[in-house]
Amino acid sequence: MTGSTKPSLSLGRRRFLQGVGLAGAAGLAGMPFGRAFAAEPEKPTEIIVRAWGGSWADSLKAGVSDPFTKLTGITVRHDLTEDNEIQPKVWAAVAQKRVPPIHINWDTTTNATKSALRGVTEDLSDLSNLAGVTELAKPVGLDGYPIVNTYGYVYVLAYRPAAFPNGAPKSWKDLLDPKFKGRIALYNDGIGFHFPAQVAGGGKLEDIPGNMQPAWDFIAKIKEQEPLLGEDPDFTAWFQKGEIDAACTISTNAREAKANGVDIAWTVPEEGAKYDTDGLWIPKGLPENELYWAKQYINFAITKDAQQVWLDGLGLPGVVPGVNPPADLVGDPSYPTTEADFKKLIRISSKVQVEHESEWFGKFKEIMQG
Amino acid sequence: MRPSRTAYPLSWRLMDALEATAVAVWPRSFAAAVPWLMLLPAVLLVGLLVLGLWDMADGSLRTLDTATFLPSDDYSLRNYDRAFTEKLFFTVASRSLIGSLIVTVITLILAFPYSYVMVRTRSAALRKVLLIALFLPFFIGQVVRAYGWLIILGSQGMVNEALGLVGVAPVRLLYNYPAVLFGLVQYMLPFAVLMLAPALTAIPEEMESAAGSLGANWVKTFLHVVLPMAKPGFIGAGLVVLTLSLTDFAMPAILGGGSQDFIANAIYDQFFRTSDQGMGATLALLLVAVGSMMVGVVFALFGAGTLAMGRAK
Repeated sequence: MTGSTKPSLSLGRRRFLQGVGLAGAAGLAGMPFGRAFAAEPEKPTEIIVRAWGGSWADSLKAGVSDPFTKLTGITVRHDLTEDNEIQPKVWAAVAQKRVPPIHINWDTTTNATKSALRGVTEDLSDLSNLAGVTELAKPVGLDGYPIVNTYGYVYVLAYRPAAFPNGAPKSWKDLLDPKFKGRIALYNDGIGFHFPAQVAGGGKLEDIPGNMQPAWDFIAKIKEQEPLLGEDPDFTAWFQKGEIDAACTISTNAREAKANGVDIAWTVPEEGAKYDTDGLWIPKGLPENELYWAKQYINFAITKDAQQVWLDGLGLPGVVPGVNPPADLVGDPSYPTTEADFKKLIRISSKVQVEHESEWFGKFKEIMQG
Repeated sequence: MRPSRTAYPLSWRLMDALEATAVAVWPRSFAAAVPWLMLLPAVLLVGLLVLGLWDMADGSLRTLDTATFLPSDDYSLRNYDRAFTEKLFFTVASRSLIGSLIVTVITLILAFPYSYVMVRTRSAALRKVLLIALFLPFFIGQVVRAYGWLIILGSQGMVNEALGLVGVAPVRLLYNYPAVLFGLVQYMLPFAVLMLAPALTAIPEEMESAAGSLGANWVKTFLHVVLPMAKPGFIGAGLVVLTLSLTDFAMPAILGGGSQDFIANAIYDQFFRTSDQGMGATLALLLVAVGSMMVGVVFALFGAGTLAMGRAK
């Protein structure tokens, strides 16, 4: 990536003027590009952002990457390597003092927290637009801003209305109905399900992580229902192919399936649903100029305009006040906006999650593989 | 008398020059080292593998500190202790071992008649068709083939649609252990046929004719002549299928519905989901050890089969 930079001195007059104009536009957008154009570090030819594919990458492109390119002239390339798979590559690059393979990692906050604890993330506290974000943007349990959370999401109970003729399921326990044997799905690492299972199993959230036996007992009952275990794309495919009637999944996947013509709805059951965040972070080891522009990308991602378009596509609530929900999600439990909405959701600190992830993963797998 | 130019053409002179250069670079006294030189690429390849294994062995002795997500500085056998005592790893390991044995047996049973017909048929057209059918799957990757089975065997797939035509309700054909084994057998079949065919080709047809002329019916000929003489092919094919099945990742991941993991899936989980590279390295090394031991036992008991390239064990 170092070799891919283009010297700003080689800019022609027309590009230079265009740049000044864009810098002005950036200033209007609340970005610092305009503050000292002459002092700006040279621009890289591209910035690589790791992203999830499908509607996730499309939304990021429409809301953040394309407008950023328009403002700065820097091409943004989306690297669709899985978040779990890019992580060891980035860690290895930082450990070996190499330039990391990406500029920005769009990551789950839990995964990103691991990288922050390992010390491979750049501090983002100096981003000017952090002044205008909600508390949700700040990672819990970490110093400063090694990650900037960019939105929240809910692991809803998505279902086919035809399979629930008496209306939306009220409880996660409804999945124990024998008619759903082999017709339900969970994430293959159990993510999103542990905490509501703790409540559904008769336990208390305050007992996490000390005593999660109620969660394991409930998950063992769910195992008897022979659930399918998969990842984001699987849920959409399984609903589309009629393989499942219900799933614990991120609302975005359910909404995407609905957009693809699948008859699907979602709800937050009485035990609650896990609420979590995703964020953006920058690995250590980038050349100074590339680090500067990577930071500007994240700074731009937390502007109201960028969030509005990006999160309209994902159907998720952002971290900038005043972002309007998409018309189809007004009042939807998967798009919490009020205190009452948040009371139905379960949020556990990322630090607690990462410290116990391996143990919880092993226990979940032990039950499901048995 | 001066020799004419045509008596010693330019091309010969060129060859002389090349030979002289070769002798200068590699004197004839080094001739004994030539075989070793030819082994060099293999030595380098294995050397790299050993280096990688050494690195993994080092990693397997370090535990993950979840407060920093760094491996420990000190060495311990904690990961090995977990590998041998946690129920998850036992379940996944036994499923992989039993599954690979079942797949090997079924694959060999199916591969034999295919190979036999392909080798013995008098029809060149049939042989070509069988060869094309054999090589076609190699052009289609394992993942694509697994997804193909999702389309065919899914709840709304072709098989269930056909069953629906005769009034049978949809049956769950996917996302279970038999589905994984089925996918593996289909994937391994071409490998087994490829390994068996040379062994069958090496059996002279006259041997079968001689058995017949001595009064043996085709069953006796098959049991007492063909099968014993095809043993090297069975061993070679069996070893290839066994090791590939034991280490397979895609079929359990795609056709198993997430609940039929093999060891390779568990290794992936440790490396990429829990970020516990030490535990992942431990499982990977144990898989290498178990696989190597199984191959070693077969070598010791039956020889290397066609893998011995015609040499005695």
